[in-house]
Amino acid sequence: MNDTKTVGSVLVIGGGIGGMQSALDLADSGFKVYLLDSAPAIGGTMASLDKTFPTNDCAMCVMSPKLVECGRHLNIEIITWADVESVRGEPGHFSVKLVHHPRYIDVAKCTGCGLCVANCPVRNIPHFDRDAGLPELKEEDSKRITGILGRRKGQRGPLVSVLQDINDEYHYLPEDLLRHVAHHLEIPLSEVFSLATFYNAFSLTPRGKYTIQVCLGTACHVKGAPRILDALERELGIRAGQTTGDRLFSLEAVRCLGCCGLAPVVTVGGDVFGEVTQAGIPAILAEYRKAVEVENVEIKA
Amino acid sequence: MSKLKPEDLERIAGPSAGGITKITVHMGTCGIAAGAEKIKDLLLAHISEKEPADVVLSTSGCAGLCSREPMMTVERRGEAPVRYVDLTGDKIRKIFDTHVLGGNVVEECVLPEVAEIGFFGKQQPIVLKNRGLIDPGNIDEYIARNGYRGMAKALTTMKPEDIIGEIKDSGLRGRGGAGFPTGKKWELCRKTHSDIRYIICNGDEGDPGAYMDRSIIESDPHAVVEGMVIGAKAIGASHGYVYLRSEYPLALRQLEQATEDAREYGLLGDDILGTGFNFDISIHRGAGAFVCGEETSLIASLEGRPPEPKIRPPFPVESGVWGKPTAINNVETWASVPQIILNGAAWYSDIGTETSKGTKVFSVVGNVKNTGLVEVPMGITLREIVFDIGGGIQNDKAFKAVQTGGPSGGCIPESLLDLPIDYEKLSEVGSIMGSGGMIVMDENTCMVDVARYFLDFLRGESCGKCSSCREGTEVMYEILTAICEGRGKPEDIDLLIEIAGAVKAASLCGLGGTAPNPVLSTIRYFRDEYEAHISAGRCPAGVCKSLINYRIDEEKCKACMLCVTTCSVSAIRGEAKQPQRIDPEVCMKCGACSEVCKFDAVIVE
Repeated sequence: MNDTKTVGSVLVIGGGIGGMQSALDLADSGFKVYLLDSAPAIGGTMASLDKTFPTNDCAMCVMSPKLVECGRHLNIEIITWADVESVRGEPGHFSVKLVHHPRYIDVAKCTGCGLCVANCPVRNIPHFDRDAGLPELKEEDSKRITGILGRRKGQRGPLVSVLQDINDEYHYLPEDLLRHVAHHLEIPLSEVFSLATFYNAFSLTPRGKYTIQVCLGTACHVKGAPRILDALERELGIRAGQTTGDRLFSLEAVRCLGCCGLAPVVTVGGDVFGEVTQAGIPAILAEYRKAVEVENVEIKA
Repeated sequence: MSKLKPEDLERIAGPSAGGITKITVHMGTCGIAAGAEKIKDLLLAHISEKEPADVVLSTSGCAGLCSREPMMTVERRGEAPVRYVDLTGDKIRKIFDTHVLGGNVVEECVLPEVAEIGFFGKQQPIVLKNRGLIDPGNIDEYIARNGYRGMAKALTTMKPEDIIGEIKDSGLRGRGGAGFPTGKKWELCRKTHSDIRYIICNGDEGDPGAYMDRSIIESDPHAVVEGMVIGAKAIGASHGYVYLRSEYPLALRQLEQATEDAREYGLLGDDILGTGFNFDISIHRGAGAFVCGEETSLIASLEGRPPEPKIRPPFPVESGVWGKPTAINNVETWASVPQIILNGAAWYSDIGTETSKGTKVFSVVGNVKNTGLVEVPMGITLREIVFDIGGGIQNDKAFKAVQTGGPSGGCIPESLLDLPIDYEKLSEVGSIMGSGGMIVMDENTCMVDVARYFLDFLRGESCGKCSSCREGTEVMYEILTAICEGRGKPEDIDLLIEIAGAVKAASLCGLGGTAPNPVLSTIRYFRDEYEAHISAGRCPAGVCKSLINYRIDEEKCKACMLCVTTCSVSAIRGEAKQPQRIDPEVCMKCGACSEVCKFDAVIVE
């Protein structure tokens, strides 16, 4: 028997990264390949990953060329949205019966714009016990979050507003509260986090009493804002994005505060300082440190 | 308050019409930063102490000339208003006693005539016509200056098609950046078949270096409201959204106040001015993401979805908020509308160039003497803006470039200073109009560093949807950083150009599509600077830390020791009363010594 002779065709079941690679290798060696996947498209789980171990390669960057190659390879025929019903026969002579699920979409006309997905009203159907795993809240937090959610009741697309309200009250977004928000608004937690981490105004870690914003707009940049930021980092002993140990100051670099006429601009706790110099920084900070000391003395008294 | 009818508008007059002395403190965000709050408190103290009759203290938004803040205007009965600049406590006392009470102008505190004529003389305020003149929190003052008259005209005498026709004839184009004809956009939106339509005011002013939208809302919020009502009538919209940046708290307060007052007067809400037209506005606060200025991202953000752009078509005029036809315009565009309706299309299209009509507000900032907001007719040259209005370069240094259009724009060199500004001319030279930021750069600005700055901005603000933009901006940033740190290779310049082409071609939205502009335009006009960094290991402007050293000129040093006390790493040493020296081993090149030196003795090489 001559094993190297290529005859017949191969069915690869599962169109994930492994299935695609197998299909490509087989097809390149001359076999006709049927690549089967039970999902509406090939690609599998890897598409939902960000980076892959151990090389930290971007997952989509690894797999998208293979997706394209599978789609264009003359020896590969992709069958998606189908399951195997039965397999009969023996090695070299199999006969497989597939069930093709209906797609309800004219594949020839669909351009993949995604509009129908966004507009389908049936979504986010939970398949698990909805109340399980919700963290316990302190009574006060529970009251505040109920208040915030109550205020936004009936508003269409309330998520960003709710996050802003929480941010206004807590100066950051506590994780436990986000879990409750996701639960009450019936939005996947992943979506809540995707918004919470997308916007610059939100932080997932507690911030100090005063937030120092250093404007890095273009006008501020040409007038030396990076040097001001460096000086503040040295003075406070923290990097941009961090909070001092005494929870007094958080340091942030922001894009543009719209005070370009007074560049370079720094704000401390909402107060705007224009034409800031490195030498003037200690005096600005001292004012706020003093204010806190006075407050503490008053509380003690 | 009772609801107004069109004829009631004529009756409302501002408080200054009674013939009294009016003091206006200009309190935009920039004025407050410069200390306007204290000035106002001082004036209040003076007024309550002396209790003069007939003196009214009022506040307004920014007066435009930011570099001379804090400012105030004193207008005595029947006299021309006088602008006072660079105010301090002492000056306030003097002005109050001599001018407000005594009637004699305090000449030494007045904005000098040269600056007055230079800065304000060439301007043609249409959108900014009320800046510094009215109290933005007082709707009567807006109405007294012809406010809501354009809206009354549109609602009572014009058909929607007439309004659209008027806007089309005026030649008004989107002031947010791309310059799409506004009338055409409205027409497309109106023609799309739907039961509901929306309009949006895009106040997510993300371009660093541009702040006209903030200033317009802070000093004249009703102009935006009025413009939106007119637009709503033309398009057939019943609800409007204003999407405002989270970084603008004062603008948010003013706009909330304005919409509330307008509602009480019956200028918003049901049955506006008794004409049976219904329209209301809700304000939506952003949360700090540059990409939200892109219209499809903004709509996604408004709906509470992750703000990623989507493929167009369908355009928002066909399918926008909640899938309904939506017309989305920038703050400045909406604020231009009432004036056009009131004064007619012909009046507006008389101003400007062949393709770009009307006026445009620019924020002239950076290394110029007079920084501030200027409204000029289209077609004015860059030289007029930088040297006549801006007053030239600070400290009389040499001009190097002017950057327009924010991160999507480019840098324009001295050789093109006589370029008349309009949408087409700017894109011909590799920049864009953008929202009107104009950052003037002097000889001490490193163009490679500027390009790196913008790429740093863009790589942080790229939403990450398109890999070309997400990875491309990152790679370009890395190459530019290498060049700035002296690790550049000769082939890097061509590599940058190649990557720039790929990013431009393969990105979905405007952010990626224009991201390479800062790199391409700086290479196009300042290639020699790139080459100096790469082959000579030198930063000609003295900015890139790895390529420079600080040194003290022993001839100029007067041994005042100011730099010694300022240096945070004690790198400056020397004998007492002798010229000092910087230890290059210890120096971390923060530049604090050169900032404090009064004798220009610290030299950057």
